[in-house]
Amino acid sequence: MSKYDPIVYKDGKRLFYRFSAHQRVQHVVLFSSVLLLAITGFPLRHAEEAWAKPLYNMMGGTEYAPLIHRAAGTVLLGLFVYHTIYWMVKFYQNQICKLKRENRLTPWNIVKEFFSQEMVPNKKDLVDIVHLWKYLLYFTNRPPRHERMSWREKFDYFAPYWGIPILGPAGVALWWRDELSHIMPGIVLNAAYIMHTDEALLAVLFLFFVHWYNVHYAPEKFPAAKVWLTGYLTEDEMIHEHYADYVKVMIAAGLEEEIKPQHFAGERYGW
Amino acid sequence: MVKRLKKLVFKLYVIGLMAFTVWYGYFMFPLIFGFEGKEEAAASFKKGDKENTKEAQMFAKLISEQTQRKQTDLGYRLIDQPYMEGRFHHIGFNIQKDNASICVQCHGNVPHDQSKDIRSFLNMHTFYLACETCHSLPEKDSQAWSFRWYDKETGEIANNPKDLIKIEDLYASKETKRQYPVYGNYGAKIAPGYEQSGEIKFLHGNNEMAFTERYKTEQELLTPEKKSQMKRIIHRKVSKKPVQCKQCHQEKKPYVPFAELGYPPTRIRELTTVGAVGMIEKYKTFYMPALLKPGGLEIDE
Amino acid sequence: MHYMYLPGLFFYLAGVITLTGVNVNPVMANELNCMMCHKHRGLSRIDEKGEFRLFYINNELFDSGPHRRNKCSDCHKDIDRIPHEPAKKVDCTQQCHVIEPSGKKKFSHKNIAKTLASSVHGKLDDEGKEKPHQSDFPGCKDCHDQPLYRPISVFKGVAKHGVSARSISRCKSCHTSGNFAEDFYEHVTSRLHKTRFSKEIIEVCAKCHQDSEFRKRHDLDDVITSYKQTFHGKMVELGSERTPDCLDCHVVEGENNHLIEAKTVATSSTHPSNVGNTCRASDCHKNASAELASFQTHVTYDREKYPLQFYMLVGFKALMAIVLYFFLTLIFLELLRRLFPRFAFFKDNQPHHKNTRPKDQ
Repeated sequence: MSKYDPIVYKDGKRLFYRFSAHQRVQHVVLFSSVLLLAITGFPLRHAEEAWAKPLYNMMGGTEYAPLIHRAAGTVLLGLFVYHTIYWMVKFYQNQICKLKRENRLTPWNIVKEFFSQEMVPNKKDLVDIVHLWKYLLYFTNRPPRHERMSWREKFDYFAPYWGIPILGPAGVALWWRDELSHIMPGIVLNAAYIMHTDEALLAVLFLFFVHWYNVHYAPEKFPAAKVWLTGYLTEDEMIHEHYADYVKVMIAAGLEEEIKPQHFAGERYGW
Repeated sequence: MVKRLKKLVFKLYVIGLMAFTVWYGYFMFPLIFGFEGKEEAAASFKKGDKENTKEAQMFAKLISEQTQRKQTDLGYRLIDQPYMEGRFHHIGFNIQKDNASICVQCHGNVPHDQSKDIRSFLNMHTFYLACETCHSLPEKDSQAWSFRWYDKETGEIANNPKDLIKIEDLYASKETKRQYPVYGNYGAKIAPGYEQSGEIKFLHGNNEMAFTERYKTEQELLTPEKKSQMKRIIHRKVSKKPVQCKQCHQEKKPYVPFAELGYPPTRIRELTTVGAVGMIEKYKTFYMPALLKPGGLEIDE
Repeated sequence: MHYMYLPGLFFYLAGVITLTGVNVNPVMANELNCMMCHKHRGLSRIDEKGEFRLFYINNELFDSGPHRRNKCSDCHKDIDRIPHEPAKKVDCTQQCHVIEPSGKKKFSHKNIAKTLASSVHGKLDDEGKEKPHQSDFPGCKDCHDQPLYRPISVFKGVAKHGVSARSISRCKSCHTSGNFAEDFYEHVTSRLHKTRFSKEIIEVCAKCHQDSEFRKRHDLDDVITSYKQTFHGKMVELGSERTPDCLDCHVVEGENNHLIEAKTVATSSTHPSNVGNTCRASDCHKNASAELASFQTHVTYDREKYPLQFYMLVGFKALMAIVLYFFLTLIFLELLRRLFPRFAFFKDNQPHHKNTRPKDQ
């Protein structure tokens, strides 16, 4: 099915597969265009701040920074479309074909398969969130045991899925305002302006803190997680973040006896 | 040991990160809740403000204007100057603060007010003469003052300003059409001093500044009599009669030795003969325009 | 700057000026030798009202603008002797010694004053009565300080600021005497683009229109703040010269800049029936439809005046606050949890999967 083994060994250590090269490349395109958009957009949003003008000038000034912004926006929109097609194809290859092979291709099964995809939120996520709060408020000393995709990762995944449909069309409307004015009134631009600037603020504030906490600031990740480059998690990371999946993968690989106990709050990280 | 150290580093890092989290929440707050377009607190000074007296308005205006600047962008050149309400002509330079002068601390740099005919001229001199140059004369038996330039920033003895020579060069040059001499912006002032073991000590040196500053900070605590006493001490070196215009603006041994202080010949001639002197002698009856063309540089000769 | 169209226009104008036989003898400011005193930087006093009066004239900057061809006494007519009494206020509409070349008459700013008087900034209303709050209505000096030239040069289709030797040499090969070539080069090229940087225009208008008391007196919105939030305002703030400032939208294309009219006046550029054309001015959104005009520029986020923007803003703010502070709290608690990893009110000391599997999986 997948050309990647769920467990590989490197220097005697177990590594657990997470992202294919294809997905990693998409992530690189995603974050480079978002970063470019942020540094060519925010000096404009906060033009009156002292840092705005030097940064904007560095990015090409009023002449070229908008061009960079629009180019990066186009890439991001392109990626959005590409990725949507990408998972649709994957869904067809993996789920629909499987159903076909097993001769179970009914609409209801398709819906069921659709909702069982790894990025779609499910009941387990709700359980995990409740468990997490129990853990955070000291009602239990055991962190939640996440499946292959934790609810936080799902949130991260769906953030662009709600952000880009707001930011993208608004950006396009502001970009092609003259042409679009023939089919829509100017006040749409007022709405687009608020959508574009405020959703961008939300996205950037979220990315620079919450997402970066998950992959940069958190003690076990600092200075940076490596999974976006290698595509694999270490055993410790796996135990810490995806214990349920870890157990599942280990059992599937016939390594049930070697399953390690779940550990608490980074205590096994050699700190 | 290493393990414990690691644990400590871990805890410190986590605590630091918690602090960062709190800061981030604080940092985000105005971004999220600040309603778009914070109104800039532009206080109103125009006449419609009836509640305030004119004086109070003036005060508020002066304080608010203090740091206001005006930038004029010509594309190839940016003119950055202090803003002065109602001024039409450009200033084009910054009035440099004189940190070393004791007098300016209280009297400011536009102190002359009495003689209507010459007050502006006297104020003009504060740009390059320390107050004590004119307002403090050596006592009868003591040695004569020696004059030196001092740096407005540091108060230390400075070299003779090179700009003076530049003015001279401009005079000599034929290509003066679009070049302008820089009068008075030397970053330095002439002040009197006395010789002590081979070195020149300025009158304003030593403890004088500390004295004045102490007085300024503690004057609220002083009784009225003590205040008067202190003021007397601070002003003890001020002469009753200041140096008169003609004592400097004369050809023969001017009180301030222009040549020694780096003034070039043409400029000295201007200061000690035709220009300045004619002005001084005739300022009451002088009604003949264009008579006083000094040998100096003008734009269109 | 993209002034691809400039060379043609420039040579056209240069041609017009030469053909009309302009012959102005540049007379410098100084025949009374005013600069003998006014060259001194510290020439100043505190006047009777307590105002700081600086009498210094920056000769170089004075010579950088169109007034350099005037003598001091052209404007300061009351000064005819040295020393002089405090100078009177200058009347900008008086005639000066410069000859206006097209009519061969002495030059004066009277026309401008007339235009200003008929604009929204004029002191009298339609019936010739004084508008209330007379002192709020601007005179020349409220918006203008000493004008400065902002010449541009064009070489091979690329314009840049300043006078280049390449550009002016063409004038100087014929017009050799005095500063004729320089004066007219700078005079004309400064007028081929905005003679003042857009940001400065905003500051000029802001002097009154951002003053809260002033706005209260005249019942005006804070148009400066709302302008500064627009894309136009932000680009200007970042140094763009291609985005519109106040004058570009509030003056009808091709009209005199001093003719700013209230939006209630039928000929005004901001009258509801004209806004479409104002946006579609030849240098701006020329491909747009008139529908673009329903864009609201001066949005104050007032609930009644701008409900759409108000509720959108509130919605986004609520969304942002909920999402961000939820995660922030989560992260904070999680960090705190790391400091006490083993503590809990109810212990679950069975970390191995085997012991908890039936319950969890």
